[in-house]
Amino acid sequence: MKKLIVPILVSGLISASVSAYAIDYPTKPIDLVVPFEPGGSVDTTSRIIAETANTYLTGKGKISIVNRSGGGGIVGQTLVAKAKPDGYSILAMTSSVITNPLTKGASYSIDDFEPIALYNLDPEVIAVPKNSPFKTAEEFISAAKEKRLNIVVAGIGTSHHMSGLAIEKVTGVKFNYIPTNGFGSQVQAIVGGHSDAVLWPLGEAVEQLGNDGIRILAVASEERSNRFPDIPTFQEVGINIPIWATFRGWAVPKGTPKDVIAKLSALMKQVYETPAYVQKMKNSGFVATYRDAAGFKFVIDNYAKLTSVIINEEGFGKKK
Amino acid sequence: MDVILLGFQTLVSPPVILMLLLGVIAGMIVGSIPGINDNIAFAVFIPFSFSMPAEQALALMVGVYCAAATGGAIPAIMIKVPGTASSLLTSIDGNAMARKGFGGKALSIAITSSVIGGVISSIVLLLFAPSLAKVALQFGYVENFALAILGLSSVVGLLKGNVIKGAVAAIIGLTVANVGFSPVTGFPRYTFDNVNLIEGIPFVPMLVGLFGIAAMFELMSDIFKERHSRAEISKPLKMGSLVLPKSLMRRLLPVWISGSAIGNVIGMLPGAGMLMAIFLAYDQAARRFSNRYEGKEGESKWGEGAPEGIAAPEAANNAVTASSMVPLLSLGIPGNSTSALFIGALAIHGMVPGPLLFSQHGNIAWMIIVAFLVANLFMWPVAFVVIKTVSKTIFAIPKEAMVGVIAILCLMGAYSDGANAFNMWVAIISGIVAYAMRLANIPLGPAILGLVLGSQLESSLNNSLTISQGNWLVFFDFSNHPISAVMMLVSIALWCVPIIMRNRA
Repeated sequence: MKKLIVPILVSGLISASVSAYAIDYPTKPIDLVVPFEPGGSVDTTSRIIAETANTYLTGKGKISIVNRSGGGGIVGQTLVAKAKPDGYSILAMTSSVITNPLTKGASYSIDDFEPIALYNLDPEVIAVPKNSPFKTAEEFISAAKEKRLNIVVAGIGTSHHMSGLAIEKVTGVKFNYIPTNGFGSQVQAIVGGHSDAVLWPLGEAVEQLGNDGIRILAVASEERSNRFPDIPTFQEVGINIPIWATFRGWAVPKGTPKDVIAKLSALMKQVYETPAYVQKMKNSGFVATYRDAAGFKFVIDNYAKLTSVIINEEGFGKKK
Repeated sequence: MDVILLGFQTLVSPPVILMLLLGVIAGMIVGSIPGINDNIAFAVFIPFSFSMPAEQALALMVGVYCAAATGGAIPAIMIKVPGTASSLLTSIDGNAMARKGFGGKALSIAITSSVIGGVISSIVLLLFAPSLAKVALQFGYVENFALAILGLSSVVGLLKGNVIKGAVAAIIGLTVANVGFSPVTGFPRYTFDNVNLIEGIPFVPMLVGLFGIAAMFELMSDIFKERHSRAEISKPLKMGSLVLPKSLMRRLLPVWISGSAIGNVIGMLPGAGMLMAIFLAYDQAARRFSNRYEGKEGESKWGEGAPEGIAAPEAANNAVTASSMVPLLSLGIPGNSTSALFIGALAIHGMVPGPLLFSQHGNIAWMIIVAFLVANLFMWPVAFVVIKTVSKTIFAIPKEAMVGVIAILCLMGAYSDGANAFNMWVAIISGIVAYAMRLANIPLGPAILGLVLGSQLESSLNNSLTISQGNWLVFFDFSNHPISAVMMLVSIALWCVPIIMRNRA
């Protein structure tokens, strides 16, 4: 550790004395903490962003990805919550930051973070196997009223499970949930026809569209997606949920200087305005978006409000 | 045939083939360091792959993936610390053989078996990838439960006259597998409010402890005994010859074929993984060994240096690497966590694995498949060079220094999985538990299988019963779930046949 610190300090001092910017940031490598294993969607998107952002950052202050997995994201999330608020620890923030303190007993709270910018908003979709008898979402809902359908979700108490509970609430149907860990096993269950439907984020569902893959019945967003204008929204098919989306963005520990936050937010905007970045995100199945700190905060608050009701009603995370 | 040639053409351009060779060398080294596995190597490498052409990046990854599974056998045999989880069974007979002074032979069997397993599996992949993928899709929750039961039943073959202790070990494993979030209810169990335990006890550090740290304790007790008896401090182990006699090759051929076949089938199933494959192959080989060779003159006991005990798991784990690409390339379903990282690498270059990959990017898809075959062929000479240099050095290290080396390797390996200091404690405590189990003569194998299969058993049972609306007979439903029914019957036979045989005798 010492060996690492010394050159970083020295290089920090050198670049600090040479550069004469308005704010002296960044002068050393920035850790972008991904609280999940390498290879997942948060990791993939973070690496694409870091690659583009580093072309705009000069000198020593480049972004490097640090994977700190464990505890369903809590280990890495807690690390950033407790990190020094100097802008050199950024969290790749997902919706689980909101639910983990409520359901998994994480020691931080959502107020320990300061949002920087949102880069991806992934609305929930209902998808069925290609050879499913349900051609439309209306058929699907009316069949669900006849008998309980089997719905694959990533796990009980996850955002996807909660979206199912929200659908139950507004339509009066009841589902059987099939908690299935791991994206591969979920695809297997759906493409192999072992379950009736799956609740997935659009970004992951898109990968499975194809000859033998899946059909998307409806998407939980306010408007139809530009990429898939044929897929109706939840509200159009009579499921009264305007938007249910997991999100990905950047956050820093509370107390980080305002001008550092502004600089990072501007950097993210610069990344978003790079055509090659948008293309890379699209290739990987993600729609690049940009909302500044205030816009991101609005999304966070909205999601927190929706989920906290369900979490309280279901008693997730309460000891039984 | 044209498409295969196209894949071959893409591969043989000098920079691509060079990357493949580099990957094989890197993978061999990565695999032979305990705790550092191909997952971690990929994570480090993926950022670099942004700036590389897709075919070079993927060739390098294929090389690392194949060779890491082989490299893991080197420390497993030399110091009884498996370099990767896939070589944990190799450490049993392999290390026993090395302690008898035949380390060279053990390493040679491991490498030859790996290469043969990998080559057979690559050829199967080359010929049947798209049609095999359809078979993999037949596995739903019911079939996965039956597979887990079959895996657990295979333990019976590993228990020799020690059924109760074996059952105790399996129950310990299954119990520890309960720690963490319940897949069924979403509530945490036995986590003691420690967030590090929410997803269960971290697996890689636990394996490092169960094998590595336990091996360290064993060495320490050896040293202590030697000092105590005031005997001469033992000389470093002998390496022995690396050449495999023809008769041994002939004897191992059936084990290689069955090990590769098991690896091929299991590798295609998402969630089943390498560990299931090596256990099933090991069990298969144990039966063969006890029927044919056990008790004969010049033969060691099972678990004390039987060549089949090295050949079967090593052939199986390399067969898994290639066959895990079957569902990945043709359906976009990753067979295990490492092959999941291939999705990331493909995605970075604008390719999505799945039904469309072969039509849109045929050259890359087929190049990956051909690369598996070539990587396995490269592996042979590379492995022998690594052994001749690295392994000779390891054998020269005195026992006292080895204790320190193992401790550092293990703690580093445990820490680097998630960069979390908690993992080092997991490794140390697991090591103490494993050493205590050894002193009590409780076998470790069934415990690990219980650990691996615990959550799969629980969630597949729950989900099967949800789908069947509580009907337990679903597992024996020959018309709707024939695969499950057959696997359940085989499992029952595995338990009953030894009992019937014993009663007759």
